[in-house]
Amino acid sequence: MENTTKLTRRQMLRGMIASGGVAILAACGAAPAAPAAPAATDAPAAAAPTSAPAVAAAPSATTITYWGSFSGGLGEAEAAMVKAFNESQSEVQVEYQFQGSYEETAQKFTAALQANTIPDVVLLSDVWWFSFYTAGAIAPLDDLASQVKLDFSDYEPVLLDEGVRQGKHYWVPFARSTPLFYYNKQIWQEAGLPDRSPDTWAEMADWATKLVKKDGDTISQAAFAHPNGASYIAWLFQGVVWQFNGQYSNPDFTMTMTDPNTLRAAQFYQDTVNKDKWAILSQDVNKDFTGGITASTMASTGGLAGIQKAAAFPVGVGFLPKADSFGCPTGGSGLAIPTSTPDDKKLAAMKYIAFATSTESAGVWARSTGYMPVRLSTKETPEMVTFFDENPNFKTVVDQLPLTRAQDAARVFVRNGDQIIGKGLERIIVNGESPDAVFADVNAELTKGAAPILEDLKAIEAGACAGLRRSGLRRRRRWRCR
Amino acid sequence: MTSVSPRTAGGSRRERREWLLFAALIGPNLALFAIFTYWPLLYNLYLSFVRWNFLRPRKPFVWLDNYIEVFTDTQFWIIALNTLTFTVCSVGLTLLIGLALALLINQPLRYRNAARAVLFSPVIMSGAVVAVVWSYIFDPRYGLLDQILGFVGASSPDWLGDPRWAMPAVILVYVWKNVGYAVVIYLAGLQGIPRELYDAARVDGAGAVDRFWHVTLPGLSPVAFFLSVTSLLACFQSFDIVKVLTDGGPAIATTTLIYHLYDLGFVSYDAGKAGVMAMVLFGVMLALTVIQLRYVEERVAYA
Amino acid sequence: MALGEELQIAQPVERAGLKKKIISPARLAGYLAMAVAVLVVGLPVYWTVAASFKEAREIYSIPPTWVPLRPTLANYPAAWAAAPFARYYLNSFITTLGGAACEVTMAITSAYALAYLRFPRKDLVFLLLLAALMVPVEITIVPNYLTIARLGWINSYQGIIIPGAAIAYGTFLLRQAFLGLPYEVIEAARVDGAGHLRTLWAVVMPMAQPAIVTMALLSLVAKWNDFLWPLIVTNTSDMRTLPIGIYWLRNSEGLTDWGVVMAGSLFLILPVMVAFLFAQKYIVEGIASGAVKG
Repeated sequence: MENTTKLTRRQMLRGMIASGGVAILAACGAAPAAPAAPAATDAPAAAAPTSAPAVAAAPSATTITYWGSFSGGLGEAEAAMVKAFNESQSEVQVEYQFQGSYEETAQKFTAALQANTIPDVVLLSDVWWFSFYTAGAIAPLDDLASQVKLDFSDYEPVLLDEGVRQGKHYWVPFARSTPLFYYNKQIWQEAGLPDRSPDTWAEMADWATKLVKKDGDTISQAAFAHPNGASYIAWLFQGVVWQFNGQYSNPDFTMTMTDPNTLRAAQFYQDTVNKDKWAILSQDVNKDFTGGITASTMASTGGLAGIQKAAAFPVGVGFLPKADSFGCPTGGSGLAIPTSTPDDKKLAAMKYIAFATSTESAGVWARSTGYMPVRLSTKETPEMVTFFDENPNFKTVVDQLPLTRAQDAARVFVRNGDQIIGKGLERIIVNGESPDAVFADVNAELTKGAAPILEDLKAIEAGACAGLRRSGLRRRRRWRCR
Repeated sequence: MTSVSPRTAGGSRRERREWLLFAALIGPNLALFAIFTYWPLLYNLYLSFVRWNFLRPRKPFVWLDNYIEVFTDTQFWIIALNTLTFTVCSVGLTLLIGLALALLINQPLRYRNAARAVLFSPVIMSGAVVAVVWSYIFDPRYGLLDQILGFVGASSPDWLGDPRWAMPAVILVYVWKNVGYAVVIYLAGLQGIPRELYDAARVDGAGAVDRFWHVTLPGLSPVAFFLSVTSLLACFQSFDIVKVLTDGGPAIATTTLIYHLYDLGFVSYDAGKAGVMAMVLFGVMLALTVIQLRYVEERVAYA
Repeated sequence: MALGEELQIAQPVERAGLKKKIISPARLAGYLAMAVAVLVVGLPVYWTVAASFKEAREIYSIPPTWVPLRPTLANYPAAWAAAPFARYYLNSFITTLGGAACEVTMAITSAYALAYLRFPRKDLVFLLLLAALMVPVEITIVPNYLTIARLGWINSYQGIIIPGAAIAYGTFLLRQAFLGLPYEVIEAARVDGAGHLRTLWAVVMPMAQPAIVTMALLSLVAKWNDFLWPLIVTNTSDMRTLPIGIYWLRNSEGLTDWGVVMAGSLFLILPVMVAFLFAQKYIVEGIASGAVKG
C-alpha cells in the first residue's frame, strides 16, 4: 500500500513538472525494463476479484494465469482442456484468460512486459513468438521440461523444431495448423467436377469456369476466395510462393520479394481476381465459404471443425494445389513461458504445457478443432484411429503435414512482417497495382524491419553475456544470460 | 466565514483563502489531466525522437529521423488525403443534411418531437456497435443495402472490400450516426431567431426564399460555426467506426491519421513514428481550435 | 413556404377550423419528408432488431427477408451464453456510474471555481483545461497503461475509471450555465453568510440543475460506450465491459453468426435507448442550449 501511494505521488509530480525535460522522461521510459519485485506479477490477479477455479484449490496449490486467443467453439475446447488439467491434479491451478486475437494477445503481452503484469503461460502465434524471443522475454524450457519429465522426442519434428533456437526449446507447439484446400462438394457436383481438390492451379483455373456465377458484371458465386491482410493472406500466400519456386526471404534475412518467381506468384494472385475473375478477396473467407459465396478457399485446418458444423453442404478438403511444385507452410500457435515468471510458477506452467500437449490431450484437442496432433504417438491412439476412419477430412490434415515446412523469416521473424506482406498483397489484388512496384516497396520495408532483429539476434545468440556485461546492462537484463 | 476586519487586510486574506479554495476545487481535475493527458502528450513527444519497438531495453535517440521517415512516406500523404476527404465529406454532409432536417422538424408538424428523438438516437449509440451493425448492412449478399439497391435494379458493390466504395461507406455511417446532433443544435439555433425579424421581412415584402437567405441563414450562422468546429474536431478524432468497420482497409483506402497512429503504435509497434503521428494530430487539433478562438474573438468584437 | 419559420406549412388551428379535415399539400409533403427521414435513420435499427430474431439459415439466404419468416428467440440466449454478459453488465454499470460520478463532481466543482472564485490568471487555468480536448485519447493509451500498471491498477475498476475521470467539455458546459445564472441570487446568499461550498450546494446547483443533468447524462452515455481503454486495461473476463464482449462476439474465430451478434449489440444499445426515452428532453435540450449559449 505504502508503495502504491509513493508511486502515485511520483506520478503526480512527473505530470506536474510539465517542463521537466527529456531526462525525466527518459528515466521513466527506462523504468519498466527493470525487473520488478516478484510480487508485482501477482498484482493483476490480486487487484481484481478472480473467478473461482473449477476445483477448489488445495491450500498449497500454485495458481498460474494463462493468456490465450481462443473464443467461440475453440474457446470452449480450450476451457475444457484447462478444466481437465485442474481436475487431474491438485498442485497447480490454471486460470485461462482470453485476450482476443493472436495480434491482440501479442499486444497485451507487449504491454504487460513493459508494466510487469505478465501471465505465466502465453499462447503466441507463429509470427509473434520470435519477437519475444529476440527481446529475451520468453524462457528456454529444457530444464523445466526435464524437471517435469517431458520428452521432446515424441513431438512432430516439423512443428517442434520451429521453436528451437541454439538447441533450446522456447515455443512448444500447441494449436498448430497448416493451410488446407476446402471445397463445397455440392457446388463441385453440380459443376460436374470430380470429388477432389484440384491437383494444380492450372486445373483449378480450368474448373473455375464451371464454378463462377456472374450477375451482370459482379460475381455472385466465386470459384475461390482469398482472405484479406488481417486474416493472414500472407500465410496462405507463403505456400503459393513456394509452389512457384519463389520465397519471401532467405534464412539469413535477405529479402527476396522481388525474385522473379515470387513476383510470378503475386501476378497469379492478381490475375485470379482482376484478369481471370474467378476469385474474390473476402473479408471473411470462412463465412463466405459456408455461405456458398465461394465454391472453394484455402484456410487453416484449425477451422475445419467449425466450418463442417456451420456448412449446410458436405465439405471436401484436400492438399493445396501445385504450381511448379508443392508448397505448404505450417502455422498456428504454441505455448511459451515468460522469462520473468518466478521459478515456482515456471515449473507449474511447464506442468500445464506438458499436460496440454500430452499424447491424450493433443488427441482431444485435434479432434475437437482440426489443429494438428502435435505428438507422434497421438496418431496411434485407438481414439484417433477411429476418428480418422469416421472423419476422412481430418485424416487429410494429418497426411499433408509431412509435406509442409517452416515459413520464411520475412513473415515470421520480422516484426510485423506478416502485415507488411499482407498489406502489399491487398494493394496488388484490390488496387490492381503492379506486383513489381508493390513488392519492391515491401522488400524495402522488410529489409528495414529485419535490421533491428538481426542486431538483437547477434546480441542474444552470440556472446550475448560478454557484450551485456561490458555495457553494464547485465544486472538489469540478467535473465538473458542464463 | 466572513469576518468583520479592516477591508484591505481582510480582503487580501480572504482573497488568498479564495485562491486556496479555487485550487482545491479545480485541483483534482487538473491533476488528473496532468497525469493522464498532458504527461502522455509529453511522453509521445519524447518517443518521437527515439527508435523503439516497445520491447527493446534501449531507446536510441535518433533526432528527426522518425519525422523524416513519416513525412517522406508516400503512404502518409495518401492517408492525410484520406483524412481530409473523410473529414470534409463527413462534416459537410452532416451539416447540410442536418440543416435540411432541422428546417423540416422546425415546422409545427405532429410527432416532430418523436421524429427528433429518432434522428438523435444514433448519436448516443456506441460507435463500435454501430460499426458492427453496419458491417452487416453493407454485406454485399445478405445486407440491407443490397436489398434496397435491388429495388432500383442495381446490385450492391462490395462496400467494404472495394477501395472505391469503402470510404463512401465509412462516411455514410459517420453521417448516419452524427446527423441527429446537428439537427438538435440547428433546431436550438432556429428557436433563437426572433420572430420579429421574420415579420419585419414580410412587411418589407420579402418572399419565402428571401427570408430564408436573409433572416434564417444569418441567424443560424453562429450555431453553424459552433457545429462545424465541434464536428470537425470530433470527426478528426473518430476511430471506433474505422477500426471496427474496415480496419483501415482495403489496403489503406480508409486509413485516417488517427487510425494510422493506432496502426503504427499497436500493429507495427513503432513507438517513434507513433509519437510523430501523435504530434501531428495534436498540432492539427490545436490549429483548428486556435482558428475557432480567433473567430469567436472577432465575433465578440463585432457585437 | 419559408424554411426556418414556424407556422408556415400549417395554418393555426383556429383559422383553419373550417378546413380541419383537409390536409394542405405542403403539410402533407412535410409529413412525407419527415417519414422518409425517420425511415432512413430508423431502418438500420429495425434491420438489427429483425436480424436478432432470425435463424442463421434465414440470415444467410438470398434474397434477405424483411420480416423474420420463422421468428426465433434463440439468438438471445446464444449471445448471452457466448460470453459472461451478466458480469459484463455489472462491470459496465459500475464503471459507467463510477466514471460519470467522478466527471460530474469534478465538472461542478471546477465550473464553480472558474465561474465565481478569484485566482491569478484564471483564464490560463481555463485554457489549460480546455486544451485537454485537443489531445486524442488514442495517443494517451500507451503511457497511461504504464502509469496504471505502476499503480498496480491493471485489470481493476479504478484502472478503468480513473484515467478518464477528468472532464473538460463538461466543465466548459457547466461554467457557461453557471455564468448564465442571475448573479444577484448568488450575491444574496453570500451576503447572508453562506460559504462558497454552501452557495454551490444550496443555490447554484439547484438553479443549474437542468444543465447538470444534461452533462451527467452525456457523461453516462460516453462511459457506457467507452471501448478502447477498457479493452486494453482489462485482462480477465470478470473485469471486461459490454462493448468488449460485443466486439469479440463478432470477431470470434470461425463464423460470424449475424443473428447472435445483432442480439448482442442490442444488449448494449437497449439500456441507452431506454434511458434516452425517459431523459430525451434533458439530453436534447441540454446539448442545444450549451451550443447556443457557448
